[in-house]
Amino acid sequence: MVSSKISHIKPTRDTPSFKHILIAPAVLIMLVMSVIPLVFVIVVSFQRLSMSDQITSFEGLVNYWRIFSDARLWEAILHTLTITFAALPVELLLGLLLAFHFVGDRPLKRLFVALLIIPSVISPMVAGSMWRLMFDDRYGPINQIIGWVAGEHISILWTINSAWVYPAIIVADVWQWTPFMFIILLAALANLDREQLDAAAIDGASSWRTFVEIILPAIRPVMMIAILIRGLDLIRMFDIVWQLTRGGPGSLTETISIYAYIRGFQEFDTSYIAAVVVLLMILFSAILVFTLKKMEIAR
Amino acid sequence: MRTRSLLKSIGVVALMQLGGIAAAEENAATKAIEAAKSYSGTTLKSAEEAGLMAMLGMNITGPEWKQLTGIGLNVTEIPFEELFPKQMLEHKAGSGAYDVLTIGPSWVADMVRNGALEPLDPYIEKYGVKAEFDDIAPAFKDWMTFQGKTYALVVDGDVHLLYYRKDIFDDPANKEEFKAKYGYDLAPPATWKAFGEVCQFITDKYAPKLYGAGLINTGYMHFFFSERFRTYGGKFFDPETMKATVNSQPGIDALTDMVNQLKCQPPGAQTWGFGESLSALNSGEIAMTITWPPVARWAQGINADEQALSWVPESQVVDKVGYALPPGGHPELASGILLAVSPDSKNKDAAYLYIQWLHSKQESLKNVMRPLGLRDAFRISHYESPDFQNLWPTAADYLKTLRQGGEQGYSDLAILETYKYWDSMGRAVVAAIGGKDPKAALDDLAKEWDALTEQIGVDRQKAAYLEWAAKPSAYRQ
Repeated sequence: MVSSKISHIKPTRDTPSFKHILIAPAVLIMLVMSVIPLVFVIVVSFQRLSMSDQITSFEGLVNYWRIFSDARLWEAILHTLTITFAALPVELLLGLLLAFHFVGDRPLKRLFVALLIIPSVISPMVAGSMWRLMFDDRYGPINQIIGWVAGEHISILWTINSAWVYPAIIVADVWQWTPFMFIILLAALANLDREQLDAAAIDGASSWRTFVEIILPAIRPVMMIAILIRGLDLIRMFDIVWQLTRGGPGSLTETISIYAYIRGFQEFDTSYIAAVVVLLMILFSAILVFTLKKMEIAR
Repeated sequence: MRTRSLLKSIGVVALMQLGGIAAAEENAATKAIEAAKSYSGTTLKSAEEAGLMAMLGMNITGPEWKQLTGIGLNVTEIPFEELFPKQMLEHKAGSGAYDVLTIGPSWVADMVRNGALEPLDPYIEKYGVKAEFDDIAPAFKDWMTFQGKTYALVVDGDVHLLYYRKDIFDDPANKEEFKAKYGYDLAPPATWKAFGEVCQFITDKYAPKLYGAGLINTGYMHFFFSERFRTYGGKFFDPETMKATVNSQPGIDALTDMVNQLKCQPPGAQTWGFGESLSALNSGEIAMTITWPPVARWAQGINADEQALSWVPESQVVDKVGYALPPGGHPELASGILLAVSPDSKNKDAAYLYIQWLHSKQESLKNVMRPLGLRDAFRISHYESPDFQNLWPTAADYLKTLRQGGEQGYSDLAILETYKYWDSMGRAVVAAIGGKDPKAALDDLAKEWDALTEQIGVDRQKAAYLEWAAKPSAYRQ
């Protein structure tokens, strides 16, 4: 009787609880690793920790109220979104064009694909430094090339002139991350159902119609994942902008990450920046959940 | 006779002893070395400014200290703008990552208030040689103390200098043409208006081969603007209300002139930092610049045999560079370097003895004469040293100008959380240089400063500001 009870509660390979027990350690570690820092950040955001104040008593919503009057933060959010919405479509389009070009058999295809993905394996800090040199107004090749085309000496101050600084950032980012889009979309295109494409060709469908009605729906889930990953990367963007402009001129190119770094780690506004992080986390999580739902890729 | 002889012997011994004491007291370096030998075998961890500053410790003073005392030195290089936060973070974490700290004068108050600096008076009492303190130029001596206590020892006395091409300024044709055009003699400009005119005159005549000036326009802009702003008569705050007054008329005029004077500088000078300005001076592309003191040694080609300085372009202007105070006559005592002991250190005595050795008359003279290390004269004995005065033909002029600069210069603003105010100011100035309207940039700056002051506490900040503003070097007459 007793043994039958034990065998009843003892999980076996086939019972659902056995699977739960197996994954429990991993889930627990993940929860501890993500929940503890999150709780700590939330607690700190209600305190008044800065370099000069070590007040750990509850300060209410003071830090959250400050966010609404912090024009520099809202500008940083705007700058981040500007870069995201400018760079992401370009990277997607270029990545898609390259993927189409390389999806069939091409001479030296492997070599070219390997060369094309080099930028995305370079550290963004290094890429930023490299582009800073490329954009140097005196010694950088960009101005020299433009000068050859224009037939006169050109001195564009890419990293300080407010009119040119965003194009410089976007060019650097597109150079580094288009290969990421390319490689993911190439894999998606390589797995297309050839029979469907052949059938469309036999039926006389135009290339555009084939793309819109067969290829695009087939690669859509993969493309959406690629957009999502790059979108999140761009919202967290720090390295390239830091190396190119340090957020300048003034604070014209400060992204959310640069702003948080300066306020948190250079100015020690610990509690305030914790409040910013909490608010942005809520905001971006909501956007993410909404997007995932719309994209129907979370199912 | 025997009594007299005995007395004579006693007298001689007493004199020898007194002499010995005096000799030991006169030399803080020897005293530090002797005391440090009892800590032989330990290794000090030192946070230093990345680049040439750190190289001095890694390549020269560290190995020498090891040889003299048996104490090793492990240098961590940190970029200047990250020195303050990095050292503060390590202190807050109580990591004891560094024994020796590298700090700027305007950080002392904040670091002391946060307990991040070990008070040095007991160590000075125990090992120091107070007579050597009298030798420090007053402006730099002031940096070492806060509210009557000593927290750091100066090793680098920074002063902005105006470097100008003597051959261009002394050219009779230039003198004649300039006088005919502007009605006064061509000379190192004494005012910012004259600076603009001299700069434009030279550019108009010689460009693109030579431009009137090439200033530092990115990086450390709070130093350059603060100097100009105060020269124009500006004051940072209203002492009654603590409202920022950086957007007052002197501020607007100073920033507008700063932007307008880019026109006589080489194309792209908006992006120039310390390196670009130095390169342009050494290669003979500019007739004037305002920068830190080591440039004099490099423009004179004293770096020729230093591998670490191989990046400095070979000087084309040896014996052609003159030295003057920047327009207005009150150079910014821009940062400077102090060494301090971390309260979290486990080797506080050994750390103190190392910085005493570097700060001593004997050792510091060697370091301020080196091209490597970016250390500059801060002692009266440095200015008066025959060795230094004879280092190159016009070294005596250089030292005389440095000394004047130290006596007449503006000290950096030092209030609560100064670095936040500096950061805002630097961004505002670079924004104006990048094309933003100077008044709008300063209005935004004033708003940011007011918000900062509110956040820190108006009364607390007012007290700190009034304490700083009472110094004669805050606002010169």
